[in-house]
Amino acid sequence: MEAKFVNCEGVQEELMDWLAGTLPPARRQTLEAHLAECPGCQQELAAVQRLWTTMGQLPVPEPSEQLRPTFYAMLADFQTAEQRRQRWSVARILERIRAWWQPAYGLRLAYSVALLVVGLVAGYGLKGRPDTTGMGAGQPVAAAEPAAAGPEAQPTQEVLALLSNPSAVQRLRAVSYAEEVAPTNERVVAALLSTLNQDPNVNVRLASLEVLAGLSHDPVVRQGLVRSLPRQDSPLVQSALADVMVRLQERRSVRPLRKLLQQDNLNEQVKDKIEQSIETLSGDQAPPPSTSSTNHETRTLT
Amino acid sequence: MLQVKAGQVEKMGLLFERYHRPLFAFFYHSSANATASEDLVQNVFYRMLKYRHTFTGEGEFRTWMYHLARNVLADAARKNKASLHHQDVADWAEKIAGGPSADGSLQQAQDLALLQRAMARLSPDQREVLVLSRLQELKYEQIAQLLNTTVGAVKVRAHRALCHLKDVYFKLENGSKVREL
Repeated sequence: MEAKFVNCEGVQEELMDWLAGTLPPARRQTLEAHLAECPGCQQELAAVQRLWTTMGQLPVPEPSEQLRPTFYAMLADFQTAEQRRQRWSVARILERIRAWWQPAYGLRLAYSVALLVVGLVAGYGLKGRPDTTGMGAGQPVAAAEPAAAGPEAQPTQEVLALLSNPSAVQRLRAVSYAEEVAPTNERVVAALLSTLNQDPNVNVRLASLEVLAGLSHDPVVRQGLVRSLPRQDSPLVQSALADVMVRLQERRSVRPLRKLLQQDNLNEQVKDKIEQSIETLSGDQAPPPSTSSTNHETRTLT
Repeated sequence: MLQVKAGQVEKMGLLFERYHRPLFAFFYHSSANATASEDLVQNVFYRMLKYRHTFTGEGEFRTWMYHLARNVLADAARKNKASLHHQDVADWAEKIAGGPSADGSLQQAQDLALLQRAMARLSPDQREVLVLSRLQELKYEQIAQLLNTTVGAVKVRAHRALCHLKDVYFKLENGSKVREL
């Protein structure tokens, strides 16, 4: 009984292949052998097979006459649409390529490229300049090391660059910075002297005079200060310079000071000041044996 | 189809001549609506053109075609469920009973009409697997590929559909007999 049951299950499993006619011959024989002795399966299969066969006979009406022409019309439409699309796109591309080669566009293109190149070069140049100061500004610690000779070049460069800065504030900064980092550097000294002589701003000139006065042990500085005397036109700088001369006991300055006195537009107070200075300096220098006491007095006074 | 894909769109005519009848039958069995089926056939051929690049040539053309056909059918069913699905079964059965295809035998005509009604009562999935295997004579392997499942699963589904059809069929048969009495 159980074997038969399993076999009936098996029939169900193979039913679809059997109906479709795809069951291998050996299996078909087994199945048909089972059918012969199992009326239940026989009946079942007969019913299903009848259904299956009937299904195969299900009528399908002929499609109407319209179907074919409609299809070919659709196909033709599709073809023309496709061609139009292709032609359109190819034509567009060609047109664009041609447009690129037209002289007007060529000129515009060349102009654009030229502008771009100019912009790039200018940008590169502008970028290069602030870079030196920017990089140097981060270096004051290294520069403050007096023993290190190498890094000194950097602040020197920076001071020189700052001294030629158009902003007076920056130049003032440069002067004090010069005093701080590289006062003995001869290039810096030269730059400070030229600042003293030429800088348009009085304050900057005064500041550099201050720094240079501190460097008076250097003969170059002394000489430079003396030579600077006739070049000054500001009463403030003139009197400050006269003071420095007295302080340094620089006798070489007497002659330029006298020359200065001959200027017509000299400020009255400055005139007094210079006269005093000349007096002090030349008094100091004058007959040393006769008036040694007064000389002494003047010296202590100054 | 590969020629069509390569740009020889006019080759589509060949495919139309070869397959428009099976396709029409497929839609007709699924919808029992000849006019709608024609539109759907047209739609499938249009999609073949439009989506020809999706045909890889790896699978069989018929599988691809039925794939498109199923999508078309599903779209149509979604769009107007009421008008497409076996709404005029009685009318349909009558047509067949009196039609020339019933080759004289009244009994067979009745059987066919009954079967049509029974088929109409199956779920779309069940009807589909029967239509594809029996009426479109696709192999179970092809159906499995089409439905994206295994051959075994297709056989099971077909078997269940057939059993269900049998039940419905005999119930209808008994019912009509009772009515006749």
